[in-house]
Amino acid sequence: MDGIRRSGVPRSVAATTAAAVALWLACGALAAGADGVIRGSVEIRRSQVVTEARPAAAGLGAAQRRPVEFRPAVVYLDSAPSGAFELPETGRAAMDQRNQAFVPHILAITVGTTVDFPNSDVTFHNVFSLSKTKAFDLGRYSRGKSKAVRFDRPGVVQVFCDIHSHMSAYILVFAHRYFAVTDQAGNFAIAGVPPGSYTLAVWHEGEVRDTRAVTIPDSGGAVDAAFVIR
Amino acid sequence: MRLSSSPLGAAALAAGLWLSSADAAMAQHWPTEPVTLAGGRLLIGGDASVTFGSDDPGWFTYTDYETSAIRRVRAGATIEVRATDRIAFLTEIRAETGAGVTPYAWYVRVSPLASGLVDIQAGRIPPVFGTFARRSYPQDNPLIGSPQTYQYLTSVRPDAVPATADDLLKMKGRGWLVKYPVGDQTPHNGVPTIAAERWDTGVQVRVGPPALEGSVSYTVGSLSDPRVGDNNGGGQIAGRVAWHPVPAFTVGVSAARGVFVADNVREARPDAPPGDDDQRAFGIDAEASWSRWLFRGEYVANSWSVPPLDVPRIVDPLGSRAGYVETKIRLHPRLYAAVRGDVIRFTTIEGSGGLDTWEADVSRLEYGVGITIRRGLLLKTSVLSNWRDGGRVRTDHLGAVQLLFWF
Repeated sequence: MDGIRRSGVPRSVAATTAAAVALWLACGALAAGADGVIRGSVEIRRSQVVTEARPAAAGLGAAQRRPVEFRPAVVYLDSAPSGAFELPETGRAAMDQRNQAFVPHILAITVGTTVDFPNSDVTFHNVFSLSKTKAFDLGRYSRGKSKAVRFDRPGVVQVFCDIHSHMSAYILVFAHRYFAVTDQAGNFAIAGVPPGSYTLAVWHEGEVRDTRAVTIPDSGGAVDAAFVIR
Repeated sequence: MRLSSSPLGAAALAAGLWLSSADAAMAQHWPTEPVTLAGGRLLIGGDASVTFGSDDPGWFTYTDYETSAIRRVRAGATIEVRATDRIAFLTEIRAETGAGVTPYAWYVRVSPLASGLVDIQAGRIPPVFGTFARRSYPQDNPLIGSPQTYQYLTSVRPDAVPATADDLLKMKGRGWLVKYPVGDQTPHNGVPTIAAERWDTGVQVRVGPPALEGSVSYTVGSLSDPRVGDNNGGGQIAGRVAWHPVPAFTVGVSAARGVFVADNVREARPDAPPGDDDQRAFGIDAEASWSRWLFRGEYVANSWSVPPLDVPRIVDPLGSRAGYVETKIRLHPRLYAAVRGDVIRFTTIEGSGGLDTWEADVSRLEYGVGITIRRGLLLKTSVLSNWRDGGRVRTDHLGAVQLLFWF
């Protein structure tokens, strides 16, 4: 688990796949009960980041000031239930480039999803990633244009703009569907979880910050979990 | 203005930058963003680079008598304090081998309008002329060397001038160490056409939206001799208008005129006929980009006027024409290639031996690649081939490697 916690989602998802399937085969009874929901909140006590451009003394004028960027957490099952690793439904998602920021800052998707990167700014952007999960470079393109990338491996993909160094975002690619991105209030809900015992992990800004054991009873229902990130 | 001359200054500042960034932002992560404190009121960015290149016996890459641009360790920190939404204080501190720690820039920026259409900067400010001197060193430079307009040392000095055309011609191709009979007798390096390694002191105003903006400045020095304090009782006015019709293209037109020759020259020769003693320059710059390609180019027509003293006299301004074009293409998310073609040509003067260019023409071709090791850590390598129409060493093929880090 230490290795999983250090590296975050990529290794956790990949490494726990075999273990989860084996556990399910051994128990053989997980599919019998009603599905439940894991809900709760993540309170982020660390100061939220104002993502400013690098201070440039070489500028002839002031750069546009930017608001505090909302950086949510992602909560997911570190050990996923049976059926979780069936070929997920492939879909599309979008990460906009607006006001020199990626919107949303965090995108959580399943393997096979294609992500569109539209440019809504008047300036050029150049989306790229050096991540092992998916390295790509979309080149420069202008407002109104969009390019897409399909993510076919689970893991964490950190995304940057080659022109604006203050732009960054994360795409978390899961091999299962048991994850949720927290809303503005920090709340989350993972629905349709089969009965069983799992490890629930919370990820924020590149790291797994906390984990917790949760159990969905055979009768299903809701299980609450609250996290605090300092 | 040096705060320290310690040879370890660059390394110490680099270490300090690293620690501050790691502590303030993401202690367990490689820093990829500037340090932002006090709700965005205090911003700190930094960079550090180590450059090692082959020996340069022709002094093609030197930025002063002791420093080659392809052999140095350098670190810098840029700090912006936003006192209010309209007023900010900026400073850029640099440390490099042979130069200690120097406040490269320090000025106040006032943005009087909420629309952001006007900015006023006062202090040691960035030059408005051209573009290269304002590129944040070194990550905005796809190669290791600088365009010759901004780096190559000519045989002109502000504090010492030739008495005759022959004095000037003797120094042809020897801009790294120049000595003239009038003014300061100490051998010293000449100046580049536009100094990118130092900034001038004065006031600058920028007006307009990004699509069409104009900037004008009044400073105490000149393009080739930016100063903190005045040395000739005259200032420089410079301006640039930039048109940015579409995201893919920017074109700019620049002009500057300022008094260049220092007072000590005329004090040494009070019999010198009155003259402008100034530097004048006109420039055009352009940048275009599309997909994985980036193109840039600049052309600068420049002249220095020096007092016509003894026979054979230097009667006309000493002119230069310089230009470069460069392109960069990203071949892979981690790899790009770049090339720059660069020439500087000089006008002729009449010496005892006849008509000749007053300085040796120089051409340079630099090409190289950059490899992104990780975000904010770039390894560059390039080859610089130099050709000069004069001087002791006329051809010099140099190799260089640069590792740079920034956040």
